[in-house]
Amino acid sequence: ALNANLRSMEWPWQYNFPPFFTLQPNEDTRNKQLEAWRNLALEYCKANKQFILDINEAYSCPLFNNKSINRKLSEEGIRTVVESLRDRKAANWVDTQKSKFYVFWHTPEEWGNLIYNWANANGMMNSVCTFFELSQGEDTANEEFHNLDEGLLLLALKSLESKRKAEIIQLDEETQGVKFF
Amino acid sequence: MRRKAGIAAIQQKKVEGEKFKEKGAVIQENQLENMTKRLEVFKKNLETFAAKHKEEIKKNPHFRKQFQEMCASIGVDPLASSKGFWSEMLGVGDFYYEIAVQAVEVCIATQQRNGGLVELDELRKRLVGARGRAVHHQEISNDDILRAIKKMNVLRSGFSVIPLDGQRGRYLVRSIPGELSLDHTVVLQQAKNSGFSSVNGLVTELGWNPVRAEKVLNELLRDGVAWIDTQGGDTKFWFPVIFINSKLE
Repeated sequence: ALNANLRSMEWPWQYNFPPFFTLQPNEDTRNKQLEAWRNLALEYCKANKQFILDINEAYSCPLFNNKSINRKLSEEGIRTVVESLRDRKAANWVDTQKSKFYVFWHTPEEWGNLIYNWANANGMMNSVCTFFELSQGEDTANEEFHNLDEGLLLLALKSLESKRKAEIIQLDEETQGVKFF
Repeated sequence: MRRKAGIAAIQQKKVEGEKFKEKGAVIQENQLENMTKRLEVFKKNLETFAAKHKEEIKKNPHFRKQFQEMCASIGVDPLASSKGFWSEMLGVGDFYYEIAVQAVEVCIATQQRNGGLVELDELRKRLVGARGRAVHHQEISNDDILRAIKKMNVLRSGFSVIPLDGQRGRYLVRSIPGELSLDHTVVLQQAKNSGFSSVNGLVTELGWNPVRAEKVLNELLRDGVAWIDTQGGDTKFWFPVIFINSKLE
């Protein structure tokens, strides 16, 4: 699979600026800080093809923990960043306990469109594809959505469904599939 | 225009001469005439010199600075000339006006991140980067930028220049109206190498009382000039304007 861009991103100046990891009390400064955090989170996840971040694992992730300057963003800080992303539809919680969150460097709608365009270009209209085939099949090996997280895949297909461009089908107890129109 | 200024200066001297006469000192008529002639000769030489070294002035900021100082020493200010001395000499519109406008653009673009402050070095690097490679875009120096800002301030633009480290030629350019208090400036100067300050640091290094230190640091925080950092032992106040410039090396 083509995985260009893995870890090739450049860290912005803020990442090495120690106070970047302290939630700023001044409102204007905090807005600038959150904007930088949003951009950084999106860029980091896109470069590392990461769909989900786990707050409980945050400190093993270089995004929230910069060991070279010995600074890490607090849990409160991380949750503030997540809320800031959610406000702009750029993230959402995976679980009700709010310990994991999707980072939408592509939104579910955008993923849906990518998948639909591939289906269209590959003569898949009106035929059924399993979820597995979409995310892990040989035929999608070079696609951006290859290895897409299953939960996110479901959200993407649901968005196509709401536009009547696809229908999600339960093929058997364990297998879900989708038909494209 | 310069001729008139010269004559006015001579006439002023004549008036002063009258006063000296009253007190017994005498300035001879022919001496005044000599002085007038000499001034005109100086100016003519200057113009010839400038024309002869036009390319050098265009390309070399060090030479340009020396030329400015030479002019200043005989009371000629090319920047104040209404005939557009620099545009005539360099043929690029008003050289300093151009720098001033571009400096304003850079300051506005960077205002968002550092409370309207930018280090002069950083400003110069960005200006040089933005000016492109056209033949007439010659190298510009920190001195050129400072002169351009001074020229702008004649128009009450709200730009101010704050010395950070006079010896090393480091300055901060402030592009939002209002003034930094002396205490603010001192804190920035203290932080010029480390990029941060703290209450303890100010108490120890400057002998300030903690209440004053805290007040000043909080004001810098409020103005967006400082960011707070609580993970480094005692609370530190960092200045993006200094930090960013240090990363440009």
